[in-house]
Amino acid sequence: MSPSVRRVVAPLVGIIAFGLLWEAAVSLFDIRRFVLLPPSRIISELGEAPGFYWSNMVVTGQHMLVGLSISMVLAIVGGALMASSRFVEEATQPILILILVTPWVAYITSVVLWLDGGTPTIVFMVAFTSFPVFTFGVVGGMKSADPAARELLASVDARPWEVFWRLRLPASLPSVFTTLRFAMGLGLAAAYFSEGSALTRDGLGAIGRTAAASNQAETLWATIASAALLGVAGLLVISVLERSLLKWHASQRS
Amino acid sequence: MAPTVRPQRPGRIVAAQVRSLVVPPRIEVRSVSKSFGSLDALAPVDLVVDDGEMVTLLGPSGCGKTTLLRLIAGLEQPSSGDIIVNGMSPTEARRHKQIGFVPQSPALLPWRTVEANARLLLDINRRASPATPTASVDDLLDEVGLGEFRDAYPHELSGGMQQRVGLVRAFAIDAPILLMDEPFAALDEMTRTDMRHLLGRLCEPLGTTVLFVTHSIPEATFLSDRVAVMSPRPGRINEDIAIELAHPRLPELEDTEQFFHTTTRLRAVLSAGMHR
Repeated sequence: MSPSVRRVVAPLVGIIAFGLLWEAAVSLFDIRRFVLLPPSRIISELGEAPGFYWSNMVVTGQHMLVGLSISMVLAIVGGALMASSRFVEEATQPILILILVTPWVAYITSVVLWLDGGTPTIVFMVAFTSFPVFTFGVVGGMKSADPAARELLASVDARPWEVFWRLRLPASLPSVFTTLRFAMGLGLAAAYFSEGSALTRDGLGAIGRTAAASNQAETLWATIASAALLGVAGLLVISVLERSLLKWHASQRS
Repeated sequence: MAPTVRPQRPGRIVAAQVRSLVVPPRIEVRSVSKSFGSLDALAPVDLVVDDGEMVTLLGPSGCGKTTLLRLIAGLEQPSSGDIIVNGMSPTEARRHKQIGFVPQSPALLPWRTVEANARLLLDINRRASPATPTASVDDLLDEVGLGEFRDAYPHELSGGMQQRVGLVRAFAIDAPILLMDEPFAALDEMTRTDMRHLLGRLCEPLGTTVLFVTHSIPEATFLSDRVAVMSPRPGRINEDIAIELAHPRLPELEDTEQFFHTTTRLRAVLSAGMHR
C-alpha cells in the first residue's frame, strides 16, 4: 500500500472498527441509551434533522472562533511583554497559573450573572479558559528565538517592535500552533458548557443541556457527536494553516 | 610549479601609513576591562584599529576575545575604560549602523529566504540604512556564489553556504567596520579555508576595517594586517604582531615559506602566552 493511500485508509479502518466495537458493546452489555447511545442511532438522529444540527454547530463554532481569536490576540500582546521583560513575566505567571488551575465550571454561574448570560458570557469563557495556555505557548516560543539573531538585531539598534515583528513573533509560531490544538479542545469544552449555562437557546451546548433535562438521549448524543465533528474540523483547519505558514519549520518537513 | 607570491606593494604600505596619520582610528579601546560578578573576564586592554586595517584577536578559549568584541559592538558595557568606534560611542555606532556584526553561528532566520536574510539588516532601523549601498545584495550574493539560491531557505543550504549569507548580510549595510566573532569555527577544514579566501577577496577592494576573532592561526595569518595575541583569562593583549605578507592575499600564499614562518611565529607567541 502506498503511503498516500495508507494515510487515507488507515484512519478510516480505525474509525469503522471503533464504531463497530461501540455498537456491539452497547448491544452486548445492554447499556442504557442515556449512558451510551449506539453510533447507528446517533447517525440516524443527525440524518433526521441535519439543518438543525448544522445551524447549531455554526453557532458553537462562531463562539469558539471569536473566543479563541480574542484569546490569541491578548496572548500575543501579553506574551510579547512577558518575553521582553523578566519582571512582567514573573509578575504575570502566578495570575496565569491561578486562572489555569481554577476549575472554570465552578465560577461560570458568577460570570453568567456578571455578563447577563448570552453570547458575551460564552465568548468570555472560551477566551478566559484558553488565554493562559496560549500565553505560555507564546512566551515559550518568543523566548526560544535564536539568541545570536537577537544580538545581530541589537548590533544595528533594532527597535523593540522590530525585534517582535521580525524575530519573536515568527519564532513563536511553531509553539503557538502546538498550543492552539490544546486551546481548541479547551475552548470547545468551554463553549459547549457555557452555552448550556448562559441562558441561551442557540448552540450545541444549549440544545444538549435541554435534551439532558428532558430525557432526549438521541438529541444529547447528536450534539456530542456534532461537537466532536466541530473539533475535528478545527484541527484540520489548524493543520492546513500550519502547513502553509510553517513550511520552513522542521516539523513540516518529511 | 612552485606557487609565487606577489611582492608587497609599496604604495599600499605608504598609503596605510599616511592614512593612519590623517584619518583617526576606526576603533580605539582604552584601558577597557570587564568583570562578570566576581569573574574577571578581561584585564585592562588597549587596542587601536586604523582605517582599512584587518586586525585579528587570537587567543585560547575563554580568554575574553568574544567579550572584547561584544564590548566594541556595544552589546556589553565595560566595567572600566572607554571605547570609541568611528568617533562615537559603541551605542551611537550601533544606532548609525556603523558596525556589521558577524556572529559565530550564521543566525539566519529560518522563515526568510536567502535573499530576505541577506537584506535583514537593511530592513531594520531603516533610517540608518545607506540610500544607495555600494554593492547591492544581488551582486553580493552572486559574488559569494549564491546567486542561484536566492529563493532557497536556510535549511536547504550547507553550513558554509549559510555562513556566506551571513557575510553578505554584514557587507550589505555598507558599514565601515566589521566585527566578526569566529564566524568559521563550526565549519570543516576545507570549507573554512574557502571561507577565509572568500572573506579576503570581499574585504580587499572595499578597504573595510575588520576586527576578527579566531582560534585558527592560518586564518589569522591569511587575513590580518596585525594579530593581537591574548593571554588566558583575565585576557590581556600580550603581543601585537604585524603580518607582513603581500596584498592582495591569494590562496597560493598559504603554500609559501613566508606564510609557514608567520604561522610558526604566531604559534610560538600563542604558546608562550599560555605558559606565562
